Amino acid sequence: MNSQTVTSLVDTLRFKREQLKESLPPFPGTPYVFLSPFFVLFGVFLVFPMFYTIYLSFFTFQGVALDPLFVFEIGGASVAIPKMANLQFVGLENYQRLLGDNIFYQSLLNTVIIFLVQVPLMVSLAMGIALVLNAGFTRFKDVFRSILLLPVAANSVAYTIMFTVIAVEGGLLDGVFIMLGLQPIPWMTDGFWARNLIAGMSVWRWTGYNMIIILAGMQTISPSLYEAAEINGATRLQKFRYVTLPQLKPIMLFVFVTTTIGVFKKFGEPVIVIQSGAPINKTRTIVYYIYEVAFQNLQLGYGSALTVALVLIILTLSLIQFKVT
Amino acid sequence: MTEITIDGLTKAYDASNDDGNENGEIIAVDDIDIEIEDGEFIVLVGPSGCGKSTTLRCIAGLEDVTEGEIRFDDEVVNEDRPRDRDVAMVFQNYALYPHMTVEENIGFGLKLSSTLPSDEIAERVRNVAEMMGIDDLLNKKPAELSGGQQQRVALGRSIVREPGIFLMDEPLSNLDAKLRATMRTELQELQNDLDTTTIYVTHDQTEAMAMGDRIAVLDGGVLQQIDPPEELYRNPENEFVANFIGSPSINLFDMDAEGDTLSGPGGFSYELDDHSVDDGPVRLGIRPEDITVDPDGNNLQISVVEKMGNENFIYGRLGTKEVVIRADASVRPEVGDTIGLQFDESAVYLFDSATGESIKTKTDEIAAPPSQF
Amino acid sequence: MHEKIKREALWQFGGYSFLLVVTMLMMIPIYWLVVASTLPNDAIFSSAGNLPRLIPGTAFLENARDLAARPNIDYYLSIWNSIAIAGIYTVLALLFCSMGGFAFAKYEFKYKRVLFIAILATLIFPINLLVIPMFLLVSKLGLSNTYWAVILPWAASPLGMFFMRQSMQSIPDSLLEAARMDGASEFQLFYRVTLPTMKSSLAALAVILFLSMWNLFLWPLVVLGEGKYTIPVAIQKITSNQNVAYDQLMVASAIAIIPMFLVFLALQRHYVKGILAGAVKE
Repeated sequence: MNSQTVTSLVDTLRFKREQLKESLPPFPGTPYVFLSPFFVLFGVFLVFPMFYTIYLSFFTFQGVALDPLFVFEIGGASVAIPKMANLQFVGLENYQRLLGDNIFYQSLLNTVIIFLVQVPLMVSLAMGIALVLNAGFTRFKDVFRSILLLPVAANSVAYTIMFTVIAVEGGLLDGVFIMLGLQPIPWMTDGFWARNLIAGMSVWRWTGYNMIIILAGMQTISPSLYEAAEINGATRLQKFRYVTLPQLKPIMLFVFVTTTIGVFKKFGEPVIVIQSGAPINKTRTIVYYIYEVAFQNLQLGYGSALTVALVLIILTLSLIQFKVT
Repeated sequence: MTEITIDGLTKAYDASNDDGNENGEIIAVDDIDIEIEDGEFIVLVGPSGCGKSTTLRCIAGLEDVTEGEIRFDDEVVNEDRPRDRDVAMVFQNYALYPHMTVEENIGFGLKLSSTLPSDEIAERVRNVAEMMGIDDLLNKKPAELSGGQQQRVALGRSIVREPGIFLMDEPLSNLDAKLRATMRTELQELQNDLDTTTIYVTHDQTEAMAMGDRIAVLDGGVLQQIDPPEELYRNPENEFVANFIGSPSINLFDMDAEGDTLSGPGGFSYELDDHSVDDGPVRLGIRPEDITVDPDGNNLQISVVEKMGNENFIYGRLGTKEVVIRADASVRPEVGDTIGLQFDESAVYLFDSATGESIKTKTDEIAAPPSQF
Repeated sequence: MHEKIKREALWQFGGYSFLLVVTMLMMIPIYWLVVASTLPNDAIFSSAGNLPRLIPGTAFLENARDLAARPNIDYYLSIWNSIAIAGIYTVLALLFCSMGGFAFAKYEFKYKRVLFIAILATLIFPINLLVIPMFLLVSKLGLSNTYWAVILPWAASPLGMFFMRQSMQSIPDSLLEAARMDGASEFQLFYRVTLPTMKSSLAALAVILFLSMWNLFLWPLVVLGEGKYTIPVAIQKITSNQNVAYDQLMVASAIAIIPMFLVFLALQRHYVKGILAGAVKE
């Protein structure tokens, strides 16, 4: 086709498009049109489940419902609103069970312990690296940043496997320990160590991410603050304590809150670790327990109650963290 | 090529606070009537917040009108969308599409709202670019252009659509002083050539005076006066207009009238021969360029003398009131000297103390200023 | 003075070595992953106090073939599933979030505050705990074990909406007004004027969205059945076997991780931009 026909083709298309545009009535509801795809999905898949979880927690799941909730007639056709599930009202029974459920407490404890091991380690590492990178005397800053950020892209299940192979009896870690003349640690078979392994894995995964955030925060601190401190006679440590840390407060809050939420949502790592033979009672996290209850035992009502409890715990922790800073 | 009628235009904003206590309205434009003839260059001028930009945007269709009508060639356009009004607008920050080349920027409107084939669009764009002197920049993106060049692209974008009305919202304010002066004359030439009805908004009264066929002075949403520049200068309707037009601003004194004698600050007094005012307070205005220096007088104590090369600005005090005199370069008193003021009664403005309305305006002949020693 | 320089150098040395040590520790697992995927099963483990072989072997292809030959789980199919799901999701979520962000950033309308607060509220809620009712919902809608079951619930990403809104607020209103005067319809404003100037924000969000869907585990585990597994689910199913073939697992994990790393390395500039926009603005 020569360029003449191409242009006239393009032109005809353009004319058609513009004619179409003109024939459409002016749209007062434009913003709503833009918003509707998002909000339809949002309402159906996020808002509704939020309320339904709370609702479900007061029921026992008895099976999938085949009969509709109610049917109404419009014109000649009948519209059936499907029932979500067959439920039996049990009031606060699920919550009572929750309060007496040892496994719940145990899984909560496991999660908290992982939290206590992971967070200090990860935050100190992230902060330390950020400090070094920010100090400006390192070249190749970008290279380090890139490498350290990589673990974030690792698939959660795949990277757990990666660590499992290293940590399993006879794996790389054992080899290193023996070489150093130390007693190899039974990472996968001892509950205590398995928990630490999970924490350690997460440290590997998320340090880079948090480091980037902390580093960015550090870079917004005006150098004149440090200069003022220097003139006042502050040592490096003092500068860190009196200038860096206070300025980083909002960033650290963000880091803590997001990490907390992340720890309490841990699922992939425990699944693989447990499947590879780790003792379940010491490594089961709370989300893992919810998964067991809801999808292995099909106790959706109790699972919902557990979910509600978990959400409340997370919210409380976040609020506490807000208040503290 | 369009006649514009603005009839009782009012634009009010709802200014209720969050706590719902204040339910006030901000009236940005208050009952404005303007008739604009085909091909006229009208300038809307006034201090910040006077409603000039809002009026322009109402004409453009970017704002809804609260009350009143806007008519193009006797057709009411209040309900029309901007793109149906056949107007083009140049924004203060040019609003060029950053991801498009100059050529695409200029041609965008044509591509969207007309049924011209692509080659004709390309030709029109090229012609306009030549007219604006930017035809060598057609492939560049806005970020690569200087402020003046971006200006021209913005202008070109408006011109190429051959609209009935040009609207310009302070298009020159982002340019440096020299460029502004050059563009000013270019714009005027352009408008003369194209003969399109133009409404131009600015806060700079010098620009307004230089460019407009007629100037509409606004304050607080209210139209003060709309007249050709010279009329505004010589016959302002009120103190506000007199003060706004003219640089440096007119000197205004609070005087007390008793019979034919006006007495003012610093013991200064003036005899009225040809006019009479009621006894009581009155405002007297005299422009800096109309005052002559009387070396033997002793009213004015000089505080600053600015020698500009071609003329001198003499600042002094009458009592506590500051006065500006614009004098020939040969008049050069010393700081601290006292001089007297002389001015012709025909150059005097008198304003009502209470309302600000003018009682008497300039009646002198337009002639070269008398030589001063 | 000399003392100060010495101390300074000590700090530098300490800092630099710390950095190097940490970076190396981070890289060791990945190195081992690559090496182990090239070794046969028994060579992955140490015997009698010796370290397992540390240099890459030649068994990669063999392991990969074994992986493919697994009767129950088609791992290579799951790679395709993951790519397809993450890809479609990213495009869809990007579209919806940018449309929504545009509306919030550039329009005034009734209910704007209400809707905005609704989104804010979900940000606080850890939304992937909603699996239980989502599961019922998806079954009811007949979407079980389809791509859409995984894609749709997350397409309305509150984070994405926020990010887009924030980015779009930086577009000057006068640009849109100029386009309106040029004759653009509202949709053309979005498509021709706003989106093209948002390229880097779109890229940032795209990377974040893609990554989040690629790594999603709990939800696909619940909803997907055989033939539709994504990578994490497939790997998990493999490990649930009795005889764990670690060499195959290493290959599977390597395939899951390494290409993603390479892509991520190339695009991480955008990713960083995305997460910083959220965090630093807090």
